[in-house]
Amino acid sequence: MQLVIDSNEYIFALGVVRYPNCEKLLAKVAESMEVIPIRITRLIIEEVRSNLTAEAFKEFILFINTATIIDNDFDIPFELGARYEARGLKSADALIAAYVEWTGADVLVTENRHFLSRQANLPFKILTAGQCIKFLNK
Amino acid sequence: MIKQNIKKAKMHLEKIRQLMAKASSPYRGMSKQQVINRKTREKLWREKLAASYR
Repeated sequence: MQLVIDSNEYIFALGVVRYPNCEKLLAKVAESMEVIPIRITRLIIEEVRSNLTAEAFKEFILFINTATIIDNDFDIPFELGARYEARGLKSADALIAAYVEWTGADVLVTENRHFLSRQANLPFKILTAGQCIKFLNK
Repeated sequence: MIKQNIKKAKMHLEKIRQLMAKASSPYRGMSKQQVINRKTREKLWREKLAASYR
């Protein structure tokens, strides 16, 4: 099962203000990266960067490099993003939804209510960190 | 092809937490959704799009 972890999960797991479920999810992903592969796009990386110190961000990149490769935003087909925008997502959120579909990931993990309220007819699940931990433990 | 290394990954996570423990947060006291609603992503994406058209 492949995951895309949204920037807010990284921020809430590693930033100054932390949430236990987000921390647990990242710890689980680190421990199980062979069986729970993650994908990440540059926009998520950049959003995390704006919430970490320079030194912490360097460590974050080293962490990501042990787990996955970083995809470029402009590789994501424009039409996919436009389709999600037409469904009412903001353009940057639409890009992330398109990215999840494009990578064929099974789950987008996010705490963003705008995503969580748009679950219907999607080719992937949208789960919070807490829901994702339960799902992975099944 | 990346070489996954669980021990190193956990070490990096721990280091980030240590480093961030010393930092101050611009959004202490804000709720999760308030942090998300800061629209950092939207702003970053618009800047990237603008840069790509230059």
